[in-house]
Amino acid sequence: MRIAVMQFPGTNCEHETLVAVKAVGMNGEIFRWNRSAGELSGFDGYFIPGGFAYQDRVRAGAIASKEPVMDALREEAAAGKPIIGICNGFQILVEAGLLPGTGKIDMALAQNVMVSKGQIVRRGYYCDWVNLRHEAPSRRCSGSFLVERGALMRIPIAHGEGNLVTTTPELMQKLNDEEQVVFRYCDKNGRVINEFPVNVNGSTESIAGICNPEGNVLGMMPHPERSFFAWQLPAFDPKKGRPDEPGPGRRVFESMKRYIEVNA
Amino acid sequence: MSQKINLRVWLKIPDAEAATVKNTLERRMGFADLLADVKKERLFSIEVDSGDLQELAGVFARELVNENKESHKVLIDELKFEEGYIPVKVTLHIEDGEAISTRDRLRNRLGFKNVVDVKKATIWKLYLKGENQERVAREIAERLLINPHKDSYEVLSQSEILFEAAR
Repeated sequence: MRIAVMQFPGTNCEHETLVAVKAVGMNGEIFRWNRSAGELSGFDGYFIPGGFAYQDRVRAGAIASKEPVMDALREEAAAGKPIIGICNGFQILVEAGLLPGTGKIDMALAQNVMVSKGQIVRRGYYCDWVNLRHEAPSRRCSGSFLVERGALMRIPIAHGEGNLVTTTPELMQKLNDEEQVVFRYCDKNGRVINEFPVNVNGSTESIAGICNPEGNVLGMMPHPERSFFAWQLPAFDPKKGRPDEPGPGRRVFESMKRYIEVNA
Repeated sequence: MSQKINLRVWLKIPDAEAATVKNTLERRMGFADLLADVKKERLFSIEVDSGDLQELAGVFARELVNENKESHKVLIDELKFEEGYIPVKVTLHIEDGEAISTRDRLRNRLGFKNVVDVKKATIWKLYLKGENQERVAREIAERLLINPHKDSYEVLSQSEILFEAAR
């Protein structure tokens, strides 16, 4: 099972992502953006990790989305192979029209705007640990194939542009009706509260991750590779826990593996 | 009656973002035969309701422009551009946090209570070859320079520039 971890100029999470890919038993390698795009067909799944591809020039994800490798990934997505975009990877998938999956740009991940009690309390880049509620049924999406509906995950975020906005009036209804909303920000009890600090970036309906209609392409703002091992979590005590204990983010990588096995 | 100070700001060192846009348009998007160059400016439009506009413009420029790497030009109640390129003005149609922060900084931290509003825009200066340049500029804007779910754009033809100046 071969996984390509995409690397654009400015990507900065590819090595952690590759560690996670290998730790669940998949063969992974970093795939530079300027390799022959045709080589991508030899892989079974793809991660587009976080970072700042092309320094977020013009806007996050815009330049990377025009690279030939993205045309190749569009073909692989159409063939049903799983693609998971994390943070900047999510932004690239949106700009490439792969999410929400209509083939055109149907939404934007805009600058964060943190709202509390009707007031804007801060804007811009923000990093913190957040709680996610899995909204879709299990097996709906490649990146949460093994996660039950309603399951909670604690995963970090770090971004300046994760605020999902759209001018397409029917999009939110469609995302909800077709169970394309995969993750929402919530509090530690699983309650979705559509204001800061629970909704960390002002995203419409507290959305943290969506998939395409087929479920094989997932984009999520939080970083599962940064909570892959329990030792990455703030509460980890090295005197009590084992270094290789799994963290909540591991489920995303295990899900992709299972998705590929089931759909092989 | 309020008046508008337009502050055009551009890098005097190489602009990597403009170079990347040019490169992407030429190498990835098929505009190589139509495009001669791309440059970029930031535009601050600062609305004030009193004060000496030239003097205020100088003070605002000292706050908003880093002379070590940027140059600027002040235009009072008008917005003019040079010939030879198509100016495409890109603005956020959702809330512009940076513009609000700039307004609040000028009003509340620096004490310019005569500042009514601040708007920000990016001006992409597209040096195009051949005919139908306005159509090409629109195509470039829609395919690369904006995401329509958060950005708006305006191709500033000479007539529109004069119209804006007259408002």
